Amino acid sequence: MKEPSKSNRWISALLLAPTGLWFAFMLVLPLIVILVFSFGERAAVGGYAGGFTFEHYANLGARLKAFTNTLTYAPLGTLLSLLVAYPLAYYLALKVNRRYKLMLLVLVIVPFWTSLLIRTYAWIYILGGRGIPNILDWIGFEGVRLINTPGAVLLGIVYGYLPLMVFPIYVSLEKLNKSLLEASSDLGASPFKTFRQVTLPLSMPGVTTGCMLVFILLMGEFLIPAFLGGGKVYFIGNALVDLFLQSRNWPFGSAISVTLVVIMLVTVSLYMRMTMRNNKTGVDESLM
Amino acid sequence: MSNSNNTDKPITATKFMKELSRYRKGSISRRDFLGVTGLGTAMAVMATATPSLLSSKAMAAELGNRLVFSTWPNYHNPANIEAFTKATGVHVQVNAFGSNEEMLAKLQAGGAGWDVFVPTNYTIEEYVKLDLIQELDISRLPNYDAGSNDPRFAGPATVNGKVYAVPKNWGTTGFVVNTQKISSAPKSWKDFFEVTMGAGSGHTMVHDYQLTTIGAALCALGYSFNSIDANELAAAEALLIKAKPHLFAITSDYQPGMRSGDAWMTICWNGDGVQLNRDLAHMEYVVASDGGEIWTDFYCIPKSAPHVDAAYAFINNLQDPAVQALDAKVHGYAPTDARALALQPASISDNPILHPAAELLSGLEFGAANTLTNPIRAEVMARFKSA
Repeated sequence: MKEPSKSNRWISALLLAPTGLWFAFMLVLPLIVILVFSFGERAAVGGYAGGFTFEHYANLGARLKAFTNTLTYAPLGTLLSLLVAYPLAYYLALKVNRRYKLMLLVLVIVPFWTSLLIRTYAWIYILGGRGIPNILDWIGFEGVRLINTPGAVLLGIVYGYLPLMVFPIYVSLEKLNKSLLEASSDLGASPFKTFRQVTLPLSMPGVTTGCMLVFILLMGEFLIPAFLGGGKVYFIGNALVDLFLQSRNWPFGSAISVTLVVIMLVTVSLYMRMTMRNNKTGVDESLM
Repeated sequence: MSNSNNTDKPITATKFMKELSRYRKGSISRRDFLGVTGLGTAMAVMATATPSLLSSKAMAAELGNRLVFSTWPNYHNPANIEAFTKATGVHVQVNAFGSNEEMLAKLQAGGAGWDVFVPTNYTIEEYVKLDLIQELDISRLPNYDAGSNDPRFAGPATVNGKVYAVPKNWGTTGFVVNTQKISSAPKSWKDFFEVTMGAGSGHTMVHDYQLTTIGAALCALGYSFNSIDANELAAAEALLIKAKPHLFAITSDYQPGMRSGDAWMTICWNGDGVQLNRDLAHMEYVVASDGGEIWTDFYCIPKSAPHVDAAYAFINNLQDPAVQALDAKVHGYAPTDARALALQPASISDNPILHPAAELLSGLEFGAANTLTNPIRAEVMARFKSA
């Protein structure tokens, strides 16, 4: 390949400059501020007051329950979203009549046009005493409580994050070469075996992407547990909101944020390594 | 305030009619009539609201054309603000905040650009300590009448002998009971927690706010609403955690739950109590007999205010009794100013939710600054919420 000329390199640098500045000011700088704050002292009336201490990291145990809640509900919510989204994406990509396809895809996106806050409020009414429990009452199931339960939080998560899971999976299934499915069936594989050995492995990139998107956002979630869990299901996101807006303990909040970033880096890189290995063996099997 | 105690009000209905007939007969001038009845102030507001009668441009040159006002949601009559803009040419940008902590954080971070804001009693001392608010020149607020404001409400405005704020409205934090569902008529915080863990199990709410929720638990145990004693707070934490499985929710947005019938009882600010009771007669607001919170909101000017002249003009306008009464029509809270109270219909000025009996009020405490910033209380709340 030809060496890029000097002016070409200048142009590349110039074109990359906005992105570089964006990363420096919007990602690196705030992270450095959070890191510095996390070792500081809380000012007497709240906020940050300089200093250097490990006290906030030593005190992380005080929010252990919030961490364990998040680390339970985030993977569980991701798994449930996947279980609901996969059949939907499969149907949209491979089964649905072409005429309705666009309309159905738009219907999946439409809820995104309204703020999550407003949609979550709608769920408060649907799950509240005058909503579904009222209907259950009529048909003989009395006193069913849906709102302000862990189940309501999981439902809200699946509802809110579904499009983020559906689309990556849809895209990878859409690209799937249909003749592979025919070949598998011609060679005597049952539909289930075809799905397990052809469709599923080939859609893994979409599944991986979808799970990542949902999991990462869920780790910072605070709105759904506050509204549909009635404030009784406490995520690490809620702990952060309280620390910054109520008790204004910025250093402790920063220490928790840094810890959260580290936990995410570790889990996400483990997850990536795992799925990449699985993908490889999956592809190998399907080619055999 | 009882009906018989009319002497400190500017005008009563009978006196108004008497003055009106005197004016008709020509025994007093129009000017006296308007002054005595308080209609003059109202008309002055109306007159200044008419741009042709007053040169907006001339005023704008003095006051500037912009003012940034930070306050609470649904706490003002938009008509009042429009009238102020029409009269002075000053456009008011209103920001609504959800908590004092958010306001403090914003102002503390610097560059908020606010001219006037509305803090609650317990934060004023903090603002002074942080050198964030100005001492007020009361002579620039002719509509403010210190004498007609109960010193109990206006008290927190004075720090180290200097006045930093003028009062706006006051209220209490008690609880609301759905009497169709709970018949035992709880009267105290002790009753509140007993009902929560008994007949009302699964149907009670507490605030997502440490000041009032921990305060309620402390009062139920016979301690001070403002306690920062580690042992007393540990006892309050134990009570809250014991009650938690019986709670419907921990939320400060409690009206939807009460209205839908899912929740039967909640810690409640009295303005919400008025609104719930107005729409649903079986919602009863209770000022707890074993204590609780009383609060006042104030107008303050930040040190960093870019439009100080406009800020004074705006606060002065809002201190006008007629303007206060119009404001109260929208937000429902009780004015601290006796002159504004006198302008309200008896159904409002005698409403027991807004004006509880004196013996109930005497047990209440103003929230203290160190209650709010106390780190133990923050941790108690976090443990309660994550339990």
